[in-house]
Amino acid sequence: MLNWAFREMLLAPQQLFASVAAVAGALLLVLFFEGVFAGESDQIVALIDKTDADVWVMQKGVGNMHMSTSFVADWKVDAVAEVEGVARTTPILYMNSAVEASGRSWFSYVVGIELDNPRVGPWEMVQGARFPAPGGAVVPEIFASDAGLKLGDTIRIAGTYFRVDGFSGDTFSMANSINFVGMDDLADVMGTLGVVSYILVDAEPGVSAQALAERIIAEVEAVNALPRDIFVARDYSIAVQMGLNIVWIMTLIGGALAVLLTGFVVYSHVTERERELAVMKALGVRDRAIYAAVSAQALTIGGLAFAMALALMAMAIPLAAEFAPKISLAITTEAVLRAGVTALVVSLISAVIPVRRILSVDPVSAFQQ
Amino acid sequence: MSQPILSARDLVKTFGTGHTQVRAVDGISLDLGPGELVTITGPSGSGKTTLVSILGALLRPDEGSVTIAGQDITAMGEAALSALRARTIGFVFQSFNLLDALNVRDNVLFPAHLAPGGTRDAAGRADALLDRLGLGARKQALPATLSGGEKQRTAIARALVNQPRLIIADEPTGNLDSHSGQEVMMVLHDIARDQGCSVLIVTHDQRIEEVADRILWLEDGTLRDRKAEPRALARDPVCNMLVDKELSANFADHEGRRYHFCSKRCHQRFEADPQAYAAQGALAAETERNPT
Repeated sequence: MLNWAFREMLLAPQQLFASVAAVAGALLLVLFFEGVFAGESDQIVALIDKTDADVWVMQKGVGNMHMSTSFVADWKVDAVAEVEGVARTTPILYMNSAVEASGRSWFSYVVGIELDNPRVGPWEMVQGARFPAPGGAVVPEIFASDAGLKLGDTIRIAGTYFRVDGFSGDTFSMANSINFVGMDDLADVMGTLGVVSYILVDAEPGVSAQALAERIIAEVEAVNALPRDIFVARDYSIAVQMGLNIVWIMTLIGGALAVLLTGFVVYSHVTERERELAVMKALGVRDRAIYAAVSAQALTIGGLAFAMALALMAMAIPLAAEFAPKISLAITTEAVLRAGVTALVVSLISAVIPVRRILSVDPVSAFQQ
Repeated sequence: MSQPILSARDLVKTFGTGHTQVRAVDGISLDLGPGELVTITGPSGSGKTTLVSILGALLRPDEGSVTIAGQDITAMGEAALSALRARTIGFVFQSFNLLDALNVRDNVLFPAHLAPGGTRDAAGRADALLDRLGLGARKQALPATLSGGEKQRTAIARALVNQPRLIIADEPTGNLDSHSGQEVMMVLHDIARDQGCSVLIVTHDQRIEEVADRILWLEDGTLRDRKAEPRALARDPVCNMLVDKELSANFADHEGRRYHFCSKRCHQRFEADPQAYAAQGALAAETERNPT
């Protein structure tokens, strides 16, 4: 029966391809939206991830960077530096703000860095200086390109104008962008004095980040300290959760579409082959064997569609980077699993749709002309 | 007769209710022995398909019993009936009913998947059958590329691959030209003679009657034996169909002459206006006597 089921599908290869492509399109919806959120989430944690400090120190009670505010008294930079196992400390100031240029604005992370300390800064440069001079800013190249900015033009951050000193790469997504300015300049914008937002800590060789974080919390008053991996994971989790409902909605929509398409295809196959099914029943094939064959067809369509959707998604990532750089796409294990489970559920539901039709096929009709 | 392969007793099958009720099979009993080739013929709507469906374990009778190869199938469940059909009965259909997606060899082997030995045991038999039926060179061909005769020979090979005790063929020559029909007829005859299969054929093809051991006439749900000798035929004055005078259960006498009818319906229509139909019948008879 399985031999028949597969060959029956191959009898009309164009029809099979169209069916698989249609279902793949529905599954691609699931993969694409989850891919967008994964890509955006990757960008949201890019600063922490790319700046490979071992431990991040922040205000007590704060555990994230995204959508958070942290203030730590600047004397604690030295206090942290004195903790055993700390090789180096680097303070940054940080705020969330709209960055405006050419009448447009973007939600951004604005990171104030020590201009004489190259520990923190853009990790990929497209043009200009990597570290801004006083009164200057390094902005994402995509942002600059959208706004038609050239080096030396001005942008506005929280009402203060900055000169564009450089264009960075890999610092822009639809959800946020990362702009670097001098720490003193940002302190002026924020109206703060004697505080930093985060302290980046490099551990001495052989010192574990977890142990060092615990030691910092114990020895320095009113701070929280997290190893980089944990800090990244927490921010990533927040970013993903922000999109989780939309991902689920798209999974349901994509899944429902896929069920409709696969169900229609499988039902059509059953309807078109009703006479053959009657003959099979007359020859002694039982309903459950026919049902297994139809299920195999649905699973094959689902499996092929899943593979096609994955391949299309893999192709879409470099294409998006080339032609739609604002869209950050990524394939995660969770997305693949979600799409795979969706394909499986879709196939199983679709296989149930023609059951009544299969059961109603009368073997006596094999005798009819 | 030795122990019959197929034995049916007092079969009744009714469709519909009230005044639309039709007794498609009305008290039919039948025995079919090993190696016996029996044809069933009769007018359209006489209940042939219903009868072979019951005898082929595809349809349950309202009353009566059917025994196939010693097993009373009347009380069997669907699973047991499916297994019985797969192992004991071979079907040949008028429309061939091959599976379009499978080639000739796989079509023949299809029922073997349902038998205990599977395709491993049946592969040799399938090849031998295809060679014997002249399809050795067409094993890989898809049904769409076969002629009508080739399709029907493939269907016969499929019916035989599980070495069934009973073959049920419904109008096996109905869609074939005279040459292919002759071939198929001889194959079915040889199956009964050489393999001891019981072969039950529903047909209107008088050539098959020439090789049949028995010819049964089914009309209005009842079955009667009929000899293959030349028959005295009369033309139904209502529908103009030729009717066997000896077997016709529907006849009427009018103005000193007997008229025969193919069915109750024609009989009733004649009775409603015998004068008109009698004149028509006389004219037809006169035309047959003097065709010029």
